Amino acid sequence: MFIRTLLVSSVVVLLVTSPGAVPASQAPGPRVIEVTAERFEFWPSEIAVAEGEEVELRIHSEDTVHGFRIVGGGTNLVIPKRGQGYAVTRFTGTQPGRYTFECSRMCGAGHNFMRGELVVRPAPAGHAR
Amino acid sequence: MTPAPYETQSAPRWTVVVMLLALLWSTPVAAQQTDAANDGYPSTGPLSGYMDFHFNKADGENGVLDFHRFVLLLSHAFSPRLRFVGELELEHAFVEGLEESGELELEQAYVDFLLSRRLNLRAGMVLMPVGIINERHEPPVYNGVERPFVDTVIVPSTWFEVGAGVHGDLGRGWRYRAYVVAPLNALEFAADEGIRGGRQKGSEADVRNVAYTGRVEYLGIRRLTLGASVWTGESSFAAPRLDTSVTLGEFDARFRRERLELRWQFAQVRIGDAARLNDSLGRTIGVSPNVASSLRGFYGEAGYRIWNAGAPRDLVAFVRYENFDTQFRMPAGFEPLKEFDRDAWVTGLTYYPDPDIAVKADYIFLRNQSGLFPSRHLVNLGLGWWF
Repeated sequence: MFIRTLLVSSVVVLLVTSPGAVPASQAPGPRVIEVTAERFEFWPSEIAVAEGEEVELRIHSEDTVHGFRIVGGGTNLVIPKRGQGYAVTRFTGTQPGRYTFECSRMCGAGHNFMRGELVVRPAPAGHAR
Repeated sequence: MTPAPYETQSAPRWTVVVMLLALLWSTPVAAQQTDAANDGYPSTGPLSGYMDFHFNKADGENGVLDFHRFVLLLSHAFSPRLRFVGELELEHAFVEGLEESGELELEQAYVDFLLSRRLNLRAGMVLMPVGIINERHEPPVYNGVERPFVDTVIVPSTWFEVGAGVHGDLGRGWRYRAYVVAPLNALEFAADEGIRGGRQKGSEADVRNVAYTGRVEYLGIRRLTLGASVWTGESSFAAPRLDTSVTLGEFDARFRRERLELRWQFAQVRIGDAARLNDSLGRTIGVSPNVASSLRGFYGEAGYRIWNAGAPRDLVAFVRYENFDTQFRMPAGFEPLKEFDRDAWVTGLTYYPDPDIAVKADYIFLRNQSGLFPSRHLVNLGLGWWF
């Protein structure tokens, strides 16, 4: 009986202290947006973000290696090939406007068509952060 | 890091204004301002390309091994808004002057002036924005060792010309491109391959007349792409007394859900003044080429990923039906050659040991409506890759 209690207690302690466990008091993370890249488009190609909001973009490829660059934003990721994982980046809409993102790895004849926009919408009056 | 907004809601609408802005943006001073937050420009992209080689065997004929395409793509970004893309293709591995052999082709070489999401300029050697394959022709992208027949004899891919135009994304899933390009040469049209021989390929192209081409795509529903294309132009510059206007209209759709992928395309070509074109050519070369006044083709394809565990456990089976007739409508006084009213069943497998490598095998049953020419059975094997 003692051994069983010890084992159960150990498992509970391990679960609570493991890296994957989220303390109840921790603030929720940014909104996660799944993005798909394939020749020659991103889906969605227009991503709305509220002013002041932080979003996490998880970008999968459906075919070859693509890139994900936010023009002028210093973000330039490699998106692995289909089935080989995904790229992650975070974006904070600190200023309203339209921010272009594009494929930054030559992916074929229509490479330059592969673009999209992050649209940061102004916060309602009185809610600006 | 948050970049400066690329475009705001108050972006100018008038084309003239935007074109003037294009000129301003392309000046060195403006580029310095634009590029301030974009380290690394100018930059030359890595060498990319695609290749494929085939084994083709038709019943009653010897098999053929052909290194069909060796293509290199180059890219260079002068700045975030000024980009160059080039595509140089060697077909059939060997080029020798004055003999029937391979081809060395400059399929793309253009500069993009990326102004805004909605409006961008492009000039140089451009791909005609017609059909599924012409702008999406990397071997891992399509099923089958060879490209569809419809995308060969109705839409003459790879179809490229010198020209200039605009392209952009209008939002809500709508995308477009429109170019002014060099026209076709009607004196090179033929009964079996339609307008294919008329491509000037940007080689000292005659622009006594110009042609117009454009495409609209709708991508507003996930995994569905709808497209419509048009190409129209006066094509008798080499015989000015003729009035051979050519118009090609095309519709296509692609859809993918889970393991299933569907494709459909329809294309029709109208050739004006075909009777006089045939008469004129008949007097010149001694035999009428029997060019039709209308060509038509369509196909539907279903592919299913029967092994879907990710490369190297990635296998697609497909079947495609094609119907294509380069003698669909004849001018008055000319009879259609029924051997060019054809249809084909194509079925096969595409195996991906890597997402960028396609090992292909297919079987084709090619029929025609003539009682004189038998149906053909073809077996093809191929290996194609992209890097």
